[in-house]
Amino acid sequence: MSTTDQSNQTHFGFKNVDKSQKASMVAEVFHSVAAKYDVMNDLMSMGIHRLWKRFTIDCSGARAGHKVLDLAGGTGDLTARFSRIVGERGQVVLADINNAMLKVGRDKLRDKGIVSNVEYVQANAEALPFPDNHFDIITIAFGLRNVTDKDKALASMYRVLKPGGRLLVLEFSKPTNELVSKAYDSYSFNLLPKIGQLVANDADSYQYLAESIRMHPDQETLKGMMDAAGFEQTSYHNLTGGIVAMHRGYKF
Amino acid sequence: MPAAQLVTAALETFINSVLQLDEQSQQRLLPLAEKQLCVELQEFPWPITFVFSDRIDLLVNSDAQADCLMRLSVQTLPQLQDNSQLTQLIQDRKLELIGDIHVAQSFSLLLKELDIDWEEQLARYTGDVVAHQSMQLFKSAQQQFSTRMQSFGSMLSEGALQEKRIAVAALEVKAFNQQVNDLRADTARLEAHLNQLFIHKK
Repeated sequence: MSTTDQSNQTHFGFKNVDKSQKASMVAEVFHSVAAKYDVMNDLMSMGIHRLWKRFTIDCSGARAGHKVLDLAGGTGDLTARFSRIVGERGQVVLADINNAMLKVGRDKLRDKGIVSNVEYVQANAEALPFPDNHFDIITIAFGLRNVTDKDKALASMYRVLKPGGRLLVLEFSKPTNELVSKAYDSYSFNLLPKIGQLVANDADSYQYLAESIRMHPDQETLKGMMDAAGFEQTSYHNLTGGIVAMHRGYKF
Repeated sequence: MPAAQLVTAALETFINSVLQLDEQSQQRLLPLAEKQLCVELQEFPWPITFVFSDRIDLLVNSDAQADCLMRLSVQTLPQLQDNSQLTQLIQDRKLELIGDIHVAQSFSLLLKELDIDWEEQLARYTGDVVAHQSMQLFKSAQQQFSTRMQSFGSMLSEGALQEKRIAVAALEVKAFNQQVNDLRADTARLEAHLNQLFIHKK
């Protein structure tokens, strides 16, 4: 799970840090990469992250009038698309714990003319500031692994989800093929920090990214955590050989 | 790599690029706003849902209930442009339609009334004069091609009908069909007479 053996310790990449420190350390990482976040995502994944996000939206069952929470929404890729799908009668809340990311997302969406049905909230996933049974859909794309207490965050998401609603977790996971796994390890520990240094002038943040992916629960563990939080009919779908997995769970 | 998402992403970019070339398409998208149309093509492995707003978003395998579901073959697609054909296509079992028919009709209208001023689009890159001359040249070439194709067609048809006599004229086919229909009616009458005779004999 998310915590190490000592209950007040947690992972920050491969390091063990005090739970109280992790949020600010993650915040520092994202403050540093916010401006170059989209460019780096495209570079690192060769644009495939857009297809993974499309897949998540395809699985969301979103339609006009729905209320959607795009948690750890970063620069708003999912929000932009959800905003068009839910229309004027619906609402999309782009929430992120990091103010810098939220600001980049807000500027980007406003530049695209997406304003009427999107709200921006700086929020911690572990204590969501929304009423119970409020959202039809919650998505968290590439955000859960940065959360300090993942079980608490899943419980918080369960609380604000309407009965009949669904949670979609898109996150890096464990490659299913040994060869892919080795190639992926080599890429993320050798090449990724160098790309980070070259483009964002920040190798450490991308070293953290690679480490945090390895420390994130694998497919079955995360499914178990969702079950434990109360979600039903939980399932996952491996994408690109398990490099990424999309977990889905319902609240009934 | 999610192949379905790659295909729909490319298709979505193409559709929206084409729509952007026609300024009026925004207006024609209005009646479809917030609607979803699911299209299941027999030749395509995944159902595609068209989500309408100020543009079109495509979803694949979406489990959201669409306002309208259309099941058809790729061959039937061009006929969708004609709004008045929808009912006929349903009767001919070429199109299965479930849900709000107005969504299908508005979508059909959107395709039918798509009007792209190619000369204006070209002028953005080449200037007015070159664009105008290029389009005139293209139109004249197109007309010449069409005229030549027509005369080639009539030459072929005359050759087959008059000289080689390997095909029959439409009127001859019609007369033959009439003769077959008459024969069918005569046979049916004869069958009815025979049946009556058998009944009396018993």
